[in-house]
Amino acid sequence: MSPVLAAVFPPVLGLLSDAAVTKYLSRGMQAGKENPPQTALRKAATTLSEDEPRWRTEPVRALIDEAMNRFEDQQPRVDAWLAPRLHATLRMTRAEAADGRLWNYLAMLVAPDYVVWRHKDKKSGMAPTTRFSGRHDLQAFSRLWWVAEFFRDGADYRPVETACVYQDVMNSVMRLEVADHRPTAAAIIRIVERLISQKVSNASDQINGLSKAINAAGSTLIFDVLAPDQPVDHDALRDWIADSAHMPDVPRTRLPDGPDDGAVDKQAVDILLPFFEKLLSEAPLRDRSKKKQDVENE
Amino acid sequence: MKHVFPYQTLFDPVDLEVVSVTVDGRSLPYMQISKSERTIALHQTGRTEWDAATLQLKATLPEQEIAVGPWSDLVCLAVLTENATNARSTARLSKGRDGYWHGQIELVHGRHLNRASLALAVTGEIGGVQGRIIGATDKDWCIDLKAVTPKRQREIPIVETDFREGPEEWLRPFKDSLWIVETVNDIPVVYLNTTAVEGLVEIMNDKGGSPGEKLVRDMTASQIAQDVWTAMFHTAISELDLDDDGTPVVPSGWREPVLRMMLPDVLPGRQLTDALFEINERRTSGSGWPELQTNIQYAAGKRSQVTKKLTNAVRMVDSMDRNGS
Repeated sequence: MSPVLAAVFPPVLGLLSDAAVTKYLSRGMQAGKENPPQTALRKAATTLSEDEPRWRTEPVRALIDEAMNRFEDQQPRVDAWLAPRLHATLRMTRAEAADGRLWNYLAMLVAPDYVVWRHKDKKSGMAPTTRFSGRHDLQAFSRLWWVAEFFRDGADYRPVETACVYQDVMNSVMRLEVADHRPTAAAIIRIVERLISQKVSNASDQINGLSKAINAAGSTLIFDVLAPDQPVDHDALRDWIADSAHMPDVPRTRLPDGPDDGAVDKQAVDILLPFFEKLLSEAPLRDRSKKKQDVENE
Repeated sequence: MKHVFPYQTLFDPVDLEVVSVTVDGRSLPYMQISKSERTIALHQTGRTEWDAATLQLKATLPEQEIAVGPWSDLVCLAVLTENATNARSTARLSKGRDGYWHGQIELVHGRHLNRASLALAVTGEIGGVQGRIIGATDKDWCIDLKAVTPKRQREIPIVETDFREGPEEWLRPFKDSLWIVETVNDIPVVYLNTTAVEGLVEIMNDKGGSPGEKLVRDMTASQIAQDVWTAMFHTAISELDLDDDGTPVVPSGWREPVLRMMLPDVLPGRQLTDALFEINERRTSGSGWPELQTNIQYAAGKRSQVTKKLTNAVRMVDSMDRNGS
């Protein structure tokens, strides 16, 4: 397979409809063997305002290049490094981030090579369509931005790095509605930290079991009442976004600072933690024995 | 959805009313709040830049039942959420002298995109457990950020455009089609081609006209409706999430009511989850899939016939959305 030459990317980010992705995403692109039809895609897209420096493509593209260089053969490890830095580079509100067309644009016009590099399936030799255009927890870039948004503790991105250690956090926890309550998300990360420090062998299964148990508990309990959070400082977020007009590129070695919109209430996390640990100790875990047998029988 | 709770919950209803709304301190016109539809239209023409809306809330709780019931530490909590932005905020209401519970909740513009949902939950301590949900409103309030009039019913947008020379580049290849249904987004969209058949769009938009024109209008509308139903059905079953054990999960948004309505005609006599499992099996394996096409066509045709007009079809989707969940 010959690597695709880095295509010339447009100077400003834009919005690209799902329909356009469906139309132009080819198997060749998914396999990384074809360049996207730049002209047609640019025609189909709407460009964002040039006057807003935060929509410039160059800083994002540079960041992605750096990410691919740093993690050449260890793709899954890129998430922890890239998620906070992407979040701090692409500064925007949740409403803006919820528009899937922006993520489509990134995947199709700015960095299709990253999507293939990170998500190519060994068996099929292609990156799945959902990594180019799909749900917020699946799309190659949106999943990183949202994991940072979900788990950051105000300006502190460290919990995001923890969240990215196990794919199950993104695959299961991020889809829980109860995790939209910040102390709930923070308490889950504290448990993940413990699993990491204890080098637990079936950590993925435990995270999966825990997230199911928390979801079930959330159908009769309201965590917001048990563990009230501090209000978020929306002005601070707005200022942080406005600051992007004159910010340097995000630091490559140390973590950037996120929006200082208020830390998660520590007390609230302390209230939930023992409760979640108890849920985990009682949670049924995925049974791997059957799967193993199946593999052996094959 | 009615849950079965392993403890005693409120039997009598809980009610939530949005009394008034201010946007950045200015009152939202009363016309934009519909109590009967439980919907608020937040969009004001000419005012796209705003930071936050404040909703004044008033709740009615079954006080008598609460007085004699086993609950303590009652909390009356307004919960504002939107799936698209993973936003969640809550506010506590407090009991006033008038017997109602009062409070306010803030909706921050930057955290919401299309439609936010406002619910009221009552929690209390029971059996030694705090924060138990003991009551909730049956029907949430809907806060629509993009609408000017407070209508619950979500219409399928019909975009009239010239496929041949209009601004939508991607429609060019379909320039000879009368219409195209797009189902990839949150809401399906119908694109009506203004240039494929001269005069058709005029007839479609006309209300009166000759019996012949009426017939053309009804037939075309019904055909579009059939296409919409078929497209919605295929989209809904093509994006099924699977549980760990391989059971398909009922999808969210418009996909759910579409499946609930059509599956009984596509696979008669089966429970929803069973039908979903079966259809996913057939679609992914391919066996028995061609045979189903007749039923899908029948189910789509039935909807478009029964409802005749596209708007009615959509109304049905919406009423299912409200009653079916």
